[in-house]
Amino acid sequence: MAQFVKKDDDRDEEAEYSPFLGIEKGAVLQEARVFNDPQLDSRRCSQVITKLLYLLNQGETFTKVEATEVFFSVTKLFQSKDIGLRRMVYLIIKELSPSSDELHIPVHKKVIIVTSSLMKDMNSKTDVYRANAIRVLCRITDGTLLTQIERYLKQAIVDKNPVVASAALVSGIHLLQTNPEIVKRWSNEVQEAVQSRAALVQFHALALLHQIRQNDRLAVSKLVTSLTRGTVRSPLAQCLLIRYTSQVIRESSMNIQGGERPFYDFLEGCLRHKAEMVIFEAARAITELNGVTSRELTPAITVLQLFLSSSKPVLRFAAVRTLNKVAMSHPMAVTNCNIDMESLISDQNRSIATLAITTLLKTGNESGVDRLMKQITNFISDINDEFKIVVVDAIRSLCLKFPLKYRTLMNFLSNILREEGGFEYKKAIVDSIVILIRDIPDAKESGLFHLCEFIEDCEFTYLSTQILHFLGVEGPKTADPSKYIRYIYNRVILENATVRASAVSTLAKFGAMVDSLKPRIFVLLRRCLYDNDDEVRDRATLYLNTLGGDGSVVETDKEVKEFLFGSLDIPLVNLETSLKNYEPSEEAFDISHVPREVKSQPLLEKKSTGKKPTALGAPPPAPTSTADTYEKLLSSIPEFSTFGPLFKSSAPVELTEAETEYAVNVIKHIFNNHIVFQYNCTNTIPEQLLENVVVVVDASEAEDFAEVATKPLKSLPYDTPAQTFIAFEKPQGVPAVGRFSNVLKFLVKEVDPSTGEAEEDGVEDEYQLEDLEIVAADYMVKVGVSNFRNAWEALGTDFERVDEYGLGPRESLNDTVNSVIALLGMQPCEGTEVVAGNSRSHTCLLSGVYIGNVKVLVRLSFGVDSSKEVAMKLAVRSEDESVSDAIHDIVAN
Amino acid sequence: MLLAVLIANSEGNILVERFNGVPGEERLHWRSFLVKLGADNLQGVKNEELLVACHKSVYIVYTVLGHVSIYLVGKDEYDELALSEAIFVVTSAIKDVCGKPPTERLFLDKYGRICLCIDEIVWKGLLENTDKDRIKRLIRLKPPTEF
Repeated sequence: MAQFVKKDDDRDEEAEYSPFLGIEKGAVLQEARVFNDPQLDSRRCSQVITKLLYLLNQGETFTKVEATEVFFSVTKLFQSKDIGLRRMVYLIIKELSPSSDELHIPVHKKVIIVTSSLMKDMNSKTDVYRANAIRVLCRITDGTLLTQIERYLKQAIVDKNPVVASAALVSGIHLLQTNPEIVKRWSNEVQEAVQSRAALVQFHALALLHQIRQNDRLAVSKLVTSLTRGTVRSPLAQCLLIRYTSQVIRESSMNIQGGERPFYDFLEGCLRHKAEMVIFEAARAITELNGVTSRELTPAITVLQLFLSSSKPVLRFAAVRTLNKVAMSHPMAVTNCNIDMESLISDQNRSIATLAITTLLKTGNESGVDRLMKQITNFISDINDEFKIVVVDAIRSLCLKFPLKYRTLMNFLSNILREEGGFEYKKAIVDSIVILIRDIPDAKESGLFHLCEFIEDCEFTYLSTQILHFLGVEGPKTADPSKYIRYIYNRVILENATVRASAVSTLAKFGAMVDSLKPRIFVLLRRCLYDNDDEVRDRATLYLNTLGGDGSVVETDKEVKEFLFGSLDIPLVNLETSLKNYEPSEEAFDISHVPREVKSQPLLEKKSTGKKPTALGAPPPAPTSTADTYEKLLSSIPEFSTFGPLFKSSAPVELTEAETEYAVNVIKHIFNNHIVFQYNCTNTIPEQLLENVVVVVDASEAEDFAEVATKPLKSLPYDTPAQTFIAFEKPQGVPAVGRFSNVLKFLVKEVDPSTGEAEEDGVEDEYQLEDLEIVAADYMVKVGVSNFRNAWEALGTDFERVDEYGLGPRESLNDTVNSVIALLGMQPCEGTEVVAGNSRSHTCLLSGVYIGNVKVLVRLSFGVDSSKEVAMKLAVRSEDESVSDAIHDIVAN
Repeated sequence: MLLAVLIANSEGNILVERFNGVPGEERLHWRSFLVKLGADNLQGVKNEELLVACHKSVYIVYTVLGHVSIYLVGKDEYDELALSEAIFVVTSAIKDVCGKPPTERLFLDKYGRICLCIDEIVWKGLLENTDKDRIKRLIRLKPPTEF
């Protein structure tokens, strides 16, 4: 009995005690001194190295001194003959290497320390010493050393021991990044290794050979041709080969019409390979072929379908992921798999279930929507929010695709809106409902109603306020605005101060826009005067006094609305900064001194934002309001006030790279007889103050333009965006084009960072900016029409101009269509900017307003012949004959 | 590129963490993302049953082995299938070193050897060796038998 008890105790101890319990960097570094002992204790040294590895794997970092010291002492261990220890030494040297790079131990120093030992190992009779020495040397080497050991590496590549060959080949792959010209000299040896009988050597050699030759199309094509005929032993290598093959297919300009696609048979053959990895790679390659036909697709889809019911999650995932991609371009091809896919909706693995759902939502037809929604309803409650958001996004796209089904889909969205969920999920649903309300007029009333219901019981202040704002914009335009008032006023009674304040603003909007409701709204607003929150009371007072005012605050009804609900014209970020910098003084805060230009964001940031359509979060800026802002800004400058109405302002064009000393972008303002360049400049150096900033423009490549005025910038302190302008005169009505080169000139003054004061004297300096172009599209404003056909008929044939153009051979019809759209700068209508997968013809409808405020409609018909020659028929209708001709001139030139 | 090999105990504490081509500031994010993924999904999963997920354009294959969970993260050519091949090598090497699906204690006892195995399998983000017998010999600096 006692024996048993003891055993149990032992086990407990064993479970609790970790060999690394209480491990601490300082102590381990102390222990590492054993590496320097004249009599090496191999076992002890191995243990210390393990501890160092454990520390490194836990994310521990060593200082420069620590790393150098350990590195030095570890190299002493090369003296030991103990094999286990030697293997550990190789590993720890590699592990210490990157951190010593970061800590700037110079390469030559590291190399000197260990090279002699490693070189000895490189020439060792023991193969495995060689393999390891190669890997370590490649980790720490630089160009000079590499040339010294190149001879050994070349030999190693063709070594009969696969471990040595693989070590050299994988090192080659890494070294190609840093020393491409040296590695490229090994291609004969690598070529030989591709023929190796060892599977992995072949895999590594193929990867390296392809990387060496990747810019030589012919060589890659030859490589692929010879290998597809021969035997490839490793499935991994076979996958690489398939990948390179599809690259060759993509790049080969061979015409596929009427003939077999090259290598298709090879890909199809791989679908019967015994390794699943290869089958999938081949299936994916086939589904991604350019302009793949349904006959080519069928065998791939068939194997993928089989994998949908595999017992292994990885295979199901891979299959459904591939089919999901196919569904984007060829939804019909995937419909056969729908039954299998439906059974995946209840898959344990949520990634698989979500992919299945979103695929079904893409391939489903209008009649199946109801059934599908029923299934999703059962499924959605037990997945987490992250996946729910994906599903909500897919449902939104489905609804936009089948607007007639909005009732079912809107009901679904409103049901899930009532269920439990986090903020991001609820926001995704609300955003979707808002987008549907915007895009499907019939859905507006029911959508607004669902949102009203939601705010009755919404725990997120942010969403409540956003919805209230949206209700204020859309509600008054509905047939019966009065029915929303109850929901809004309930918020005033029941919610926190932030929401109450929003509700007051929304009520006021209804009062301002719907005259019949005004008296009753006033009753409600007066009740808000007794609210216990300042902001709520202040808003109520403001609205009551202005809307029902006696004219003492503002004069007209229009001005009231503009004052209360118009845009602020000032970026909120700038307003915030100015308010923070404002110090209470005699002088009141003046809003007109707030800079109006948004600082240009670094490019990276821009890319990450605006990926998906946002609804409430960031409403797309109404085009009129930005134009208004610019117009006000420009007319406030005396030099430009005579230019007349502003026709168009471009989006900002960056003239500097991201993260340079000075960030400059330009906005092109187009007037009837003039153009104005507005350069938005930001100084990103805290130690500098720039003064007398101007952009000197060379217009020698823009002959039609004559400089008439400039407005320099007096001072450009750190991180405060400001503008300088330059105006050019151009012939009236002529869409003159040209290229302008820009140099930023200024006076730099040093700023003392501690006091913020600038020195008296400055130095003249200049900074080269990118060139800037005025193109034909700058004279066109994108304005869509709701019904192109009606608009086209209404313009009539009086000023219609039709002509045909040959565009020459083109790779992709989709790209061609988009480049013509970009050339004209017009708004594509009815989704006609998207060309279906492999179609040979396409019609694209465009609409816009040309300079002089002339309405223009364009009908583009494209056709592709067997030699990929694209022909385009351009039909233009406009309100002015000369404009129709001008559009043709743009294309003809 | 095989972006990460991460091994954690059942409480989500990291035992081994090797990143390749992942910037330092993103590592913490990956670590917590993976641990959470495991906590959400690995309950009751059988030894070596593979689970799969994707996050942005990156694939994750993960599994349980004894008391440790193993995660592999890859992108581009290291998709879910290549990762499942790689994780198979990792799990068999660990089983081989430990003699059975390990407890946390056993894993830590064999820590040095496991590090050597992973070093043989993945080198700077590339799959280098896939045969467990060969790996077993290589970590003792014995030449492979099969050539």
